[in-house]
Amino acid sequence: MNTIDILSEINEIFIDTLDNEDIVIKEETQASDIEEWDSLTHIMLVVAVEKHFKIKFTSSEIQSWNNVGEMVKCIQSKGV
Amino acid sequence: MLNVDDKFEELFVLRKKTYNGFIEVFEDKNPLHTDHHFAVDKGFKGMVMHGNILNGFISYFIGERLPTKNVIIHSQDIQFKNAVYLDDELVFNAVVTGVYDSVNAVEFKYNFKNKEAKIVAKGKFQIGLLQ
Repeated sequence: MNTIDILSEINEIFIDTLDNEDIVIKEETQASDIEEWDSLTHIMLVVAVEKHFKIKFTSSEIQSWNNVGEMVKCIQSKGV
Repeated sequence: MLNVDDKFEELFVLRKKTYNGFIEVFEDKNPLHTDHHFAVDKGFKGMVMHGNILNGFISYFIGERLPTKNVIIHSQDIQFKNAVYLDDELVFNAVVTGVYDSVNAVEFKYNFKNKEAKIVAKGKFQIGLLQ
């Protein structure tokens, strides 16, 4: 999948998980940009993304992300 | 430690001590829970126990009966399907439906069944494994 398509699917996951219809994520979006994105919802987001794309991340992969774009690249690296 | 399809079973009895304690702590004295005639008039066999007592049973299961004490609840939901009455024996079944090592999270699906094998409540919860 290309970056735009993954971003679109992730955006729906963010809206659903964070219960905020107004969220529009971009590659440069960081946790600090979204009020509801805290340490607990981060876990919920990762679980939802793993489920949605049927992939598994490692903890080191997650810790290396600085923004959504890096998450997307990681998803693509799993063959999505 | 926990793997997908791991299954757990517990027996809970909704005792008067638990019912009284719930009312004392939370002060929910709605007549459905405290007035036999009111509850019967609404079509129930008797006073309906507070559904959220079952959430307490889930809390006990997570906190005390899993193979580790290093747990925290991330999320929990419950759907109430049938009324629970005083002294009902409830069989709680939980199964691990997802293990997310990247974030040390484990997801469960569960239900409670009464002695007639009717599901009285079901739902899912997610826990975190503390490091």
